[in-house]
Amino acid sequence: MKKFTEFVLSNRMLISTMSLMVIVAGYISFKQLPIDAFPDVSPNLVQVFTTTEGLAPEEVEKYITYPVEVAMNGLPNLEKIRSVSNFGLSIVNIYFEDGTDIYFARQLVNERIQEAREQIPEGFGEPEMGPISTGMGLILFYYLDDESGQYSLEELRTIQDWVVKFHLQTVPGVTEVLGIGGYEKQYQVNINPMALLQYDISIQDVIEKIKSNNLNVGAQFIEKNSEEFIVRSVGLASGTEDIENIILKSESGTPVLLKQVANVEIGGAIRRGIQTRDGIGEVISGMVVKLYGTNSSTVIGQVETKMEEINNILPKGIKIVPYYEQKTLVTACVKTVSNALLQGILLVVVVLVIFMGSIRPSIVVALSIPFSVLFAMIGMNYFNISANLMSFGGLAIAIGMLVDGSIVVVENIERVLKSTNVRTSKFKQISKAFLEVIQPVSLSIIIIIVVFLPLFTLEGVEGKTFRPLAYTIAIAMLGSLIYAMIIAPVLSSYLLKYKQNKNVEENNFIVRALNRFYQPVITYFVNNRAYALSLAGILIAIGMFIFPRLGSEFTPKLNEGAIVVRVSMAPSISLSESKNMTLAIEKRLMKIQEITSVVTRIGRGEVGAHADPVNSAEIYVLLVDKSEWRSDANQEDIENTIRETLEDVPGVLINLTQPITMNVDELLEGIKAELAIKLFGDDLEQLKAKADEIADVIREIEGADDVQVDQISGTPQLLMTVDRKAIARYGINISDVQEIIHSAVGGETVGEIFEGNRRFDIVVRFQENYRDNAEAISNIVIQSEDGAYIPLSELVQMTEIIGPRQITRENNQRFITVQCNVSGIDIGSFVEEGQIKITEKVKLPFGYFVSWGGQFRLQQEANKRLAIVVPITLIIIFLLLFSSFNSLSNSLLILLNIPLALVGGIVALWLTGQNLSVPSSVGFIALFGIALENGMVLLSVMNQLVKAGTSLKDASILGAKLRVRPVLMTALTTALGLLPLLFATGTGSEVQRPLATVVVGGLVTSTILTLLVIPALYEWFSKRKIGF
Amino acid sequence: MKSTIISIVLTAFITFFITKSLVVKPDECNTNQTQEEHNEISPETLQEFGVEYSIVSGGILTQTIELPGEIQVDPNRLAHITPRFDGIVKEVYKFIGQPVKTGDLLAIIESNESLSAYELRSSIDGVIIDMHFTKGETARISENYFEIADLSEVWVNLSVYQKNLSEINNNQTVMFSMNSQSVEGQISFISPTIDEHTRTAIARVILENTNGNFRPGQFISGNVILSQLKCDIVIPKSAIETVSGLTAVFREDEHGFEPVYVKIGKQNHDSVEVLSGLTLGQRYVSKGGFVLKTQMSKSSLTEAGCAH
Repeated sequence: MKKFTEFVLSNRMLISTMSLMVIVAGYISFKQLPIDAFPDVSPNLVQVFTTTEGLAPEEVEKYITYPVEVAMNGLPNLEKIRSVSNFGLSIVNIYFEDGTDIYFARQLVNERIQEAREQIPEGFGEPEMGPISTGMGLILFYYLDDESGQYSLEELRTIQDWVVKFHLQTVPGVTEVLGIGGYEKQYQVNINPMALLQYDISIQDVIEKIKSNNLNVGAQFIEKNSEEFIVRSVGLASGTEDIENIILKSESGTPVLLKQVANVEIGGAIRRGIQTRDGIGEVISGMVVKLYGTNSSTVIGQVETKMEEINNILPKGIKIVPYYEQKTLVTACVKTVSNALLQGILLVVVVLVIFMGSIRPSIVVALSIPFSVLFAMIGMNYFNISANLMSFGGLAIAIGMLVDGSIVVVENIERVLKSTNVRTSKFKQISKAFLEVIQPVSLSIIIIIVVFLPLFTLEGVEGKTFRPLAYTIAIAMLGSLIYAMIIAPVLSSYLLKYKQNKNVEENNFIVRALNRFYQPVITYFVNNRAYALSLAGILIAIGMFIFPRLGSEFTPKLNEGAIVVRVSMAPSISLSESKNMTLAIEKRLMKIQEITSVVTRIGRGEVGAHADPVNSAEIYVLLVDKSEWRSDANQEDIENTIRETLEDVPGVLINLTQPITMNVDELLEGIKAELAIKLFGDDLEQLKAKADEIADVIREIEGADDVQVDQISGTPQLLMTVDRKAIARYGINISDVQEIIHSAVGGETVGEIFEGNRRFDIVVRFQENYRDNAEAISNIVIQSEDGAYIPLSELVQMTEIIGPRQITRENNQRFITVQCNVSGIDIGSFVEEGQIKITEKVKLPFGYFVSWGGQFRLQQEANKRLAIVVPITLIIIFLLLFSSFNSLSNSLLILLNIPLALVGGIVALWLTGQNLSVPSSVGFIALFGIALENGMVLLSVMNQLVKAGTSLKDASILGAKLRVRPVLMTALTTALGLLPLLFATGTGSEVQRPLATVVVGGLVTSTILTLLVIPALYEWFSKRKIGF
Repeated sequence: MKSTIISIVLTAFITFFITKSLVVKPDECNTNQTQEEHNEISPETLQEFGVEYSIVSGGILTQTIELPGEIQVDPNRLAHITPRFDGIVKEVYKFIGQPVKTGDLLAIIESNESLSAYELRSSIDGVIIDMHFTKGETARISENYFEIADLSEVWVNLSVYQKNLSEINNNQTVMFSMNSQSVEGQISFISPTIDEHTRTAIARVILENTNGNFRPGQFISGNVILSQLKCDIVIPKSAIETVSGLTAVFREDEHGFEPVYVKIGKQNHDSVEVLSGLTLGQRYVSKGGFVLKTQMSKSSLTEAGCAH
């Protein structure tokens, strides 16, 4: 060690250059870091979407979802499979274990999709994978504003799909642009069934004729005068007129044209989702999905630039208006942490200057902050950690700790330089001072790094959330260790003056005052050990008393600064009715002072992001600038206003949430509430009945908010059962009947019309009044092979039933979810009570079981893992301490700091009314390290004094006196470094606040106790050591 | 030894501390009460969300069925004028499409047998719809003729499917619309047999055709008025909601709008007859009862409130 120090000091230039290089590299890394709002906690999943034309949930499950699920079983690294079979849409979510490469997973899924495809009946849809993205992938939503007011919804949608979308998809980092709203243009052939009868033409004939009159073919080439001419035959229909004039049949030379039996017109496709705005009406909208692993802010920036370009080429009066983007959030988060970071640095420097009493040593110490931070940047770049709330938050937390090592080192060097009156070599003095403290300093920094070990072992959401924080803290601390060990002595040798000051008395008034006050107190405590003990005892007792009174939660709600109002309407609602309801709700919302605009998505648009049915609406609320809010209104007030405004809206359930939270939650549990109770079983009726019972039980527990049973049933069906006897009588096949039902009522796509690059479907269907009600459908006439005309009602039995709205399955089993939010009480205790009550009150049939999920599940997982990792960490720390002090009792005395520090953290949480949560646990973990550090610094000097021959008691007092300044300084810098986080109000601050609260609170008690109790107990513990 | 115990206790304590997180802390219950007070919704709010009201009243319920048909010439108003002897056509006076009166000269033919000319005259008033006479050709008794139709009245033959036969009767009114004009007629005849290929019977309607709008051969579909019932209570179909599997109507009483189960009688595509459940003069929800229905199931969801 001594040689090392000498080497360092004799190669000052080399060290300086190298540290400069680290700083430069750190800066470059910083510039390259991707910036996100939060760490992305979305699970590793591949989604398989299958759209089918008009298939009911039961059929979707049977024909599509099941084959896809079965095909996916047994994939490597597979965690679970969850599926939702909706009307006309099957979604299978295949979850992979964390750490599985997403492209590898997609490749696996893609292979198996081929198998599934073979199992799915022809014409029932093609399974396809969702976008390569995550829950945070929906980075920007926009709508098309038509100021001119002269474009139809259909035209606007065509502009969206063929101009805006096309161009946006070329932006690097954009994996998909999904359109919704308006009408997708199509060419509709609306057949008059009466005319069909009269001309004796069947709908199948019409379909065949259109198909065979809309083609281009190639016919190789011919040679003409040594030149080759390619032969093409062009027969594509180019518009309604071409379709209209398709000849259906020819009666003695007179053709029957399509227009004689049908109207051909341009119309809108059947839609399952729309977008509305400001209570005015429909708009056309798009969602930009970011490619997995790209930098949100960069992509958004590029998308915005592209939008400017597109705006220029759009028809006059049409403009792209973004109404939600994540960049604001990213900027806000970065601003929150960088503010905290800067303020922290400032406060730390102020403390340094005050305590050090002079500028030069302060500079040496303060420089460790930029060095360590930039060092952390290199590490972040290496480990692919993006700059986000958590990773930068880690740095903000670490600020105060980063200087600790160098404080102790520099303080000792300065003290030694000041107090030595023998003029020896400056290097030697520095080396001596350095060697005195370097062992406890390096050990304490290593211990701080070690205490973060539990965070590295976290998995799933907790892991993804807090690992970046642990990484940055650990790397920054490593940087500070390097600084303290190598750079601090070098810089001291440059900057610190060798003072010829014989007067050992401190000239710093604070330190003087401190010593004057501290000396008598510490002497008293050392002499009256029992008081010190009881002081510690009382504090611990207080902590034990308060601890059970703290609530718990997973992570405090992260404020995204955006509000989404989720509206669930009756499952049987029609799209037009749900549009009317939504517009009425929007009108109400617009009356709220702080709301400038609201944009609502009802149902789903192009598949890939959402799978909501038409009874579900998500209202994005756009707020005015904060400065224009009602005085002292915060976001919660506005949320409450929204709740009040919408309270008496009849027939809907209102849920307030936030965009990213909503998407991530949905991917995690497939539901959007904090708590999900899943009931597994086979029979949909039973599931529904039992889930209702469970919901009733849950509702009785106080704190239950927004309790909802999944609307699995409630979609009315017109069930047509083919009468086998009847069809036998006429010699008709079931498929004949079904084909007519399918194409006449549902419509059949028979080809495409090309308009340049754009292509639009040609759809054959009956005219609306011949298919829009049960009676009309029953009058559809089918012709048998021998020419008989039979109305449908003679062949099928029609019944109106209530069928399932959607069928959800997990791991090949059906289930139903009861979801709820918990307010005013912590989820932990809520779940405990719920579990007991459900077992008591709800009798489940054989084979049915309940499982609890949502945020609660994440918390349980975190706890389970911590229960293993924390003791291991403690053992490692203990071994480190033991190897350093070579004494069991010394190690124990240091460990005693931990409970003393915990007390402060608990009290601080309690005083500020916060809950135990993962962030506060992280705070406690950080606290361990800091508390241990203080104890070690103190104890090492006492041991040195004892070794030098001082009595135990004198060593206790003298040691405490000698170390009061560094101990107080490290504690104060750490606490003050966190202070900005404690009082920050910006976006994202709510996650960091509990952490800061715990550390600051814990520091207060632990510092007091380190300075009072440890010296008092030192003698006692050391005596015991002799007796041991 | 003691130190070991202390260290174990310490470890246990800290582990317990970190992992212990679920604690019961019952508070005063007051979360849901504010919502409960507002459960009743004012009529204005309902109107805002698309609920419409009406007063129960009587009315006429018309049931119809649409059938495909074809316009035919009335055989009673059709005349075929044929030559009595084979002979050379000397002169033709009337051609296709021309109106003729009874006794109008159509053509002169010179008989092959007698070599004397004779006249062909129309036997009815009407229009020549077909003819096979060219000057100079040899007209034969069996081949050449004038077809004259009186189109002032035409027949519409409607195809009746088996299952509808029982509902179709003579004298039922049938509505036709042609060139955005609507015309009424009565069923005057129903064929006693069924076509063995198409499995349909024919119902005939005789229509006035003075302006010649209806051209024989033309396809036309007619709405047969099966019944026109005068009912005590008729409400629009949009008022009917299915509440727990039964048909119901939201009727106003002192508590606001409550669902009453109703018995449905005859119905057509937009209205239904109510046999019981409603009385004349009551206010009911004629449209948007759906909102009230979902509100009912919603309040049963959120009524629980405070259990303490």
